[in-house]
Amino acid sequence: MSSTGTRIGVICALLTMIFTLFAWRLIDLQVAQHDYFSRVAAEKHSIRIVIQAKRGRILDRNGEELAVNIPVRTVTADGTHIRNAAALAALAAPFLEMPVKELTEKLSTQRQYVVIRKEVSEEKAQDLMRAMDKANLHGLYLEEGAIRSYPNSEMLCHVLGFVDYTGHGIEGIEKSYDKELGGQDGYRLIEHDRKGREIVVYRGQEKMPTDGSDIRLTIDMGLQAIVEKEVDDTFKEYHPASASAILADPNTGEILAMACRPNFDPNHYNDAKPEQRRCRLITDMYEPGSTFKIVVTSATYNEKIVNENTRIYCENGHFSYGGKIVKDHHGYGDLSIPEILMKSSNIGAAKLSLRMSDQSFYDYVRAYGFGEKTGIPIQGEISGMVNPPHRWDKLTKTRMAFGQSIAVTPIQMVMATSAIANGGKLMKPRLVLSDGEENAVEKEAPVREVVSKTTANYIAKALEGVVSAQGTAPLAKVDGYTVAGKTGTAQKIGTHGGYLEGRYIVSFSGFMPAETPRLMGLVIVDDARVGSEANYGGLVAAPVFSRIGGKAARYLDLPPESALVMAQSGNALNTSATAKTR
Amino acid sequence: MNGNRRRTTNSIEVNVLARWLVAVFFVGLAGLFFVYLKNQQHAVGDQARAVEAAIREIEAKNEALKAHITAMTSRGALQRRIEEGYIRLEPIPDTAIARIAPALPSEPDGVLRTASRDPDGRFGVGAPLRAISR
Repeated sequence: MSSTGTRIGVICALLTMIFTLFAWRLIDLQVAQHDYFSRVAAEKHSIRIVIQAKRGRILDRNGEELAVNIPVRTVTADGTHIRNAAALAALAAPFLEMPVKELTEKLSTQRQYVVIRKEVSEEKAQDLMRAMDKANLHGLYLEEGAIRSYPNSEMLCHVLGFVDYTGHGIEGIEKSYDKELGGQDGYRLIEHDRKGREIVVYRGQEKMPTDGSDIRLTIDMGLQAIVEKEVDDTFKEYHPASASAILADPNTGEILAMACRPNFDPNHYNDAKPEQRRCRLITDMYEPGSTFKIVVTSATYNEKIVNENTRIYCENGHFSYGGKIVKDHHGYGDLSIPEILMKSSNIGAAKLSLRMSDQSFYDYVRAYGFGEKTGIPIQGEISGMVNPPHRWDKLTKTRMAFGQSIAVTPIQMVMATSAIANGGKLMKPRLVLSDGEENAVEKEAPVREVVSKTTANYIAKALEGVVSAQGTAPLAKVDGYTVAGKTGTAQKIGTHGGYLEGRYIVSFSGFMPAETPRLMGLVIVDDARVGSEANYGGLVAAPVFSRIGGKAARYLDLPPESALVMAQSGNALNTSATAKTR
Repeated sequence: MNGNRRRTTNSIEVNVLARWLVAVFFVGLAGLFFVYLKNQQHAVGDQARAVEAAIREIEAKNEALKAHITAMTSRGALQRRIEEGYIRLEPIPDTAIARIAPALPSEPDGVLRTASRDPDGRFGVGAPLRAISR
């Protein structure tokens, strides 16, 4: 009996020990090492799927869509789920527009992740899935994605830019605002069954994506269409190396339209040559020629070196200075400041510059924004070329006065002329209005006051004369409105230095209505294929400005300036025949 | 047979047994209910997944259609169609425009100002009513 009791006691003790061990191990697994085993289990069964954020749209100032997303699917395969590769390939090939043989080869794999085809349309992808379900075939899966589409094709291509295959901006606004447009991808931890389907009950931690913001530009597509059409026609008519135009609001610095030729289609950016992708309005510099005379005239007037009564003797067209001859197109005697601008006298401008100290003239050039980037939010902007006074020779200042020995970008020229139009303030060019939620992205901000309001008004008045019959740009006239502006005709510089004979960059930079400017415009035609006798800013670029200005005024429904205009248009009408035969 | 060797009989304690049976039954029932709920949960999860997929599909289709409409009605596309002659712009004669506000007198440039853009507020609130005459 005692031995039986002992045996029972031993067995009980053993069982107790065994169960104690089991219990201890259970506690060890479930409590002590809980975190470790949870992580191991999660790693084995959980998958982190990325929930892609939608890229924001790019809109014009009126909400017209300029860049949108088209949802597409990427078809992938899991080789371990494919039982009959040949049958699956035969079924899927028409949907994926791939040869059956090639598809069969791709599907005959044991790899768990193979990309079969990208950018399959949503409709075809869904049709494929339905066909697979019907035929009870497995192994192909869909991944979400989107491609960027630019519905206006070439229009505004240099501003919009484009995205690469990963969806990141490469050029233009797409690059500058990539972070805002891109948003932030989310994720979800899921577990799946052996067929690869998500088990919703075991859905783990998730973070929803933050979609990208819409970017609203200052561009007005109505004006953009007008500018594009005129630049296009100019490009076809004159076959120049390039043709460009900008329209801006001189009071705010908002860019309303900008176009360059040659251009490209951002939907097919791989087909574009580098010269097509260049936004010449910010990446190219040129000698501005006579459009630059506004700097020296306004600087001397602002410094009170000259006044309304000042007259400059223009040497009858030949001025010898520093061993070189400065010429005018026609010989002039005494000219007032407005007449120097109206007649575009190089000698008058050169002599004005000589009345200023080198440093003072240089300071004004820099104050107008030349030699520094404007800060327009497009990649690749250059600052132009303005040499400091210690690098000047005796001739430099007199040459700079009429736009030689200096290189500027078109956008700098627009902002500088805008300063004359808006009463003397240099504005920062503004291209983005808001991020789509009515939050202003860039603030409207004057960079500095360059000249006084009196000076700006005086020069603006003088620039009205340029567009009169006595000026160099009567063809820039817009019926019903006063236009103020300045022509520029600069000889092209060769790749090895020196000027190229008979090849010019012609431009017209102006604003309208002159009294209360609403539009600032610049037209540049680089190396127009016309004879030297016709290759002038007033003959090539000014008419383009006139057409753009007329259509833009009609589009914006600007009220015409009645009384003031009657006088000017009367004058202009009497002399337009002369101008056209110039 | 004496009393000591008499076969003892164990009475069945029905009460206790019944109590245990009921307890086991309820535990079993709870287990079954748990399994049922778990299955339901999975079924609802599958439904949720299907609905989510359907919503995603519809959203994607909607996006694709919107992009298609945008492409077809974009300024560039319309201009191309005008150039190709599929559509054309027809000028609306001034006499065919019904104006809620009277037209401004013709300016020297011959352009009639439209009522929608009225910079001087001449037809705004408080503007004097004028008879329309041509």
